[in-house]
Amino acid sequence: MPSRRRTLLKVIILGDSGVGKTSLMNQYVNKKFSNQYKATIGADFLTKEVQFEDRLFTLQIWDTAGQERFQSLGVAFYRGADCCVLVYDVNSMKSFDNLNNWREEFLIQASPSDPENFPFVVIGNKIDIDGGNSRVVSEKKARAWCASKGNIPYFETSAKEGINVEEAFQCIAKNALKSGEEEELYLPDTIDVGNSSQPRATGCEC
Amino acid sequence: MSEMSSSELDPEPPIRLHLPPLSPSLFDAEPSDLQQPNGSAARHSSDPSSSTSSGYAGERGSSTATTVSQVEEVLHNEIQEITIHDPQPLSHSSWLPGKRHGDEDDASISWRRRKKHFFVLSHSGKPIYSRYGDEHKLAGFSATLQAIISFVENGADHVKLVRAGKHQVVFLVKGPIYLVCICCTEEPYESLRGQLELIHGQIIVILTKSVNRCFEKNPKFDMTPLLGGTDIVFSSLIHSFSWNPATFLHAYTCLPLAYATRQAAGAILQDVADSGVLFAILMCRHKVISLVGAQKASLHPDDMLLLANFVMSSESFRTSEAFSPVCLPRYNALAFLYAYIHFFDDDTYLMLLTTSSDAFYHLKDCRISIETVLLKSNVLSEAQRSLVDGGMRVEDLPPLPYSGSSHLGQHRLTSDSPERLRESDCGIGGAAGLWHFIYRSIYLDQYISSEFSSPINTPKQQKRLYRAYQKLFASMHDKGLGPHKTQFRRDENYVLLCWVTQDFELYAAFDPLADKALAIKTCNRVCQWVKDVENEIFLLGASPFSW
Repeated sequence: MPSRRRTLLKVIILGDSGVGKTSLMNQYVNKKFSNQYKATIGADFLTKEVQFEDRLFTLQIWDTAGQERFQSLGVAFYRGADCCVLVYDVNSMKSFDNLNNWREEFLIQASPSDPENFPFVVIGNKIDIDGGNSRVVSEKKARAWCASKGNIPYFETSAKEGINVEEAFQCIAKNALKSGEEEELYLPDTIDVGNSSQPRATGCEC
Repeated sequence: MSEMSSSELDPEPPIRLHLPPLSPSLFDAEPSDLQQPNGSAARHSSDPSSSTSSGYAGERGSSTATTVSQVEEVLHNEIQEITIHDPQPLSHSSWLPGKRHGDEDDASISWRRRKKHFFVLSHSGKPIYSRYGDEHKLAGFSATLQAIISFVENGADHVKLVRAGKHQVVFLVKGPIYLVCICCTEEPYESLRGQLELIHGQIIVILTKSVNRCFEKNPKFDMTPLLGGTDIVFSSLIHSFSWNPATFLHAYTCLPLAYATRQAAGAILQDVADSGVLFAILMCRHKVISLVGAQKASLHPDDMLLLANFVMSSESFRTSEAFSPVCLPRYNALAFLYAYIHFFDDDTYLMLLTTSSDAFYHLKDCRISIETVLLKSNVLSEAQRSLVDGGMRVEDLPPLPYSGSSHLGQHRLTSDSPERLRESDCGIGGAAGLWHFIYRSIYLDQYISSEFSSPINTPKQQKRLYRAYQKLFASMHDKGLGPHKTQFRRDENYVLLCWVTQDFELYAAFDPLADKALAIKTCNRVCQWVKDVENEIFLLGASPFSW
């Protein structure tokens, strides 16, 4: 336990399989990109220390598998997230259409205390492909959807070229931090011996 | 799943028998129901995963990545079997308090080679405590542990133990707090789970169970700031798992003192207890001098262990009198009590527990009057003398047929005694090759452990003996196969003899070549000896546990 206060932020990355979630994470954390596609099994976890306004904090990034067969991991994975990143491929309409399902699934599973204001960030990835000629989801359309869901911040990135990735994660970190700032009230009771008898735990458990 | 290696099982395994005296013939029957239990609670045995590695595991840079499905591989391959010894072996003298190796993370080879890891994390996978390494750097590892636990819980089940080669991964879920031990120390599952329970208890001592409410309201809750500065409390507790038998016996031990001295201390504590103090406890290091509880209030030995550990490991309590909120998990896990703590000298300290948050000045007055009496009746100097003199020594074990009152150390056999001569060829130590014993009185919730003497005189050997006792304790108390009455086992290190009756449990270690009949006879002598000196080694009469 650190004596100096540090903050740890749990960030969940969601989206259809193959949209580039793992690539984004690796571009951000390791500054690396591989053209080879390897499906994530279950989930990958990465950590990155970030400085923001003179404060150091740690991003604990949960890179989940996009395949439906891993959806059963739901509640466990989503619990206690500080920010959720929804990723789609600008070259795939289906991956964009599914953003709504991912968002709703997350809100159901994680059941955050204030779902209306839970910090999401949307990323449209793979803008480099074919010089943008194979693009099927327009920026306007994506921004409209984000606006309709409570002004979700929106970024267009290329994990391959490293375009906008740093900026997107800066925003993710900032929003995660903001949501974490509501202080918890930790107020334990004091024993009142007067009106409650304290039953002795019977013997040892051996 | 590994069975206990057969070399560790005595060819004459333990059997059941009925009450005293212990006789050799009772060991000759052939038992059928006793196989050393292994981790029978295991839900999961770890098959090496055939899944392919995913993501960019091969490309990790300064950060670390772990994949859930790779967990088995991680356990098999990454946390390797220990071949390199810790450069700073744990011992009483060389043990350094506080977090060590804080610069390590799960990518460090040294970290992976540590023999015994403890982790505490939240149900959202946020790290709370790690024995080794930096919690934040271990965030990915912590997330992996959470994923394993949650994955199994998703199937409406619980993961208790994973075995991977020589390693055991023991899980304990306490509401929103997850505790995990990963080790290759061959300790029984029950012991390791008990250690995790104590770590959780220590968290409760510091924060109470109402910390759970914070998680209920907000799963994102990060409790590390609330535990700020308590690293040393946890490292000290973990260290005590290898030297303090109270951690597995669930009993406390007293500082050996003349009966009148302990009575004098008890009387003044009783006076303050009558003035509204819930518990008054006078201790010398981890040993009790005397303790008194207000009417109907009872104190569990585990609470005493955790409280004493909290007080002794926090340096600030030594520098001045202190008033601190503490929680006794077995007494009431949901709420705080307030403890007035004062060290009379380096070793002896007083703890006065109350429910009133503004009782400081009253308790200070109580302490002053207690201190006056303790000085007047020489309790503090007697305590120091007892520390120097030590308690029961196996060399002092009196011969069985003798009568009259006995006092500690008065029956030291002279070197020309025939008994001594006859037994001298059994090796160093006491009669019949007796090296060490622990006697636990069941109705007192107290134990007495003999002083270590040759050949068990290094911390490493002592730790090994405690681990052997711990294993013995676990096998005697195994719920599926036990409870057992006696056990006699011989391996290359010791002869271990355990005898459990309704009133006491005796654990004794002998020279591995010790004669069985003689060892059994010696155990009877030890029991008689303990009975003879019980008013010096135990706190009798005023036990708050029996109310």
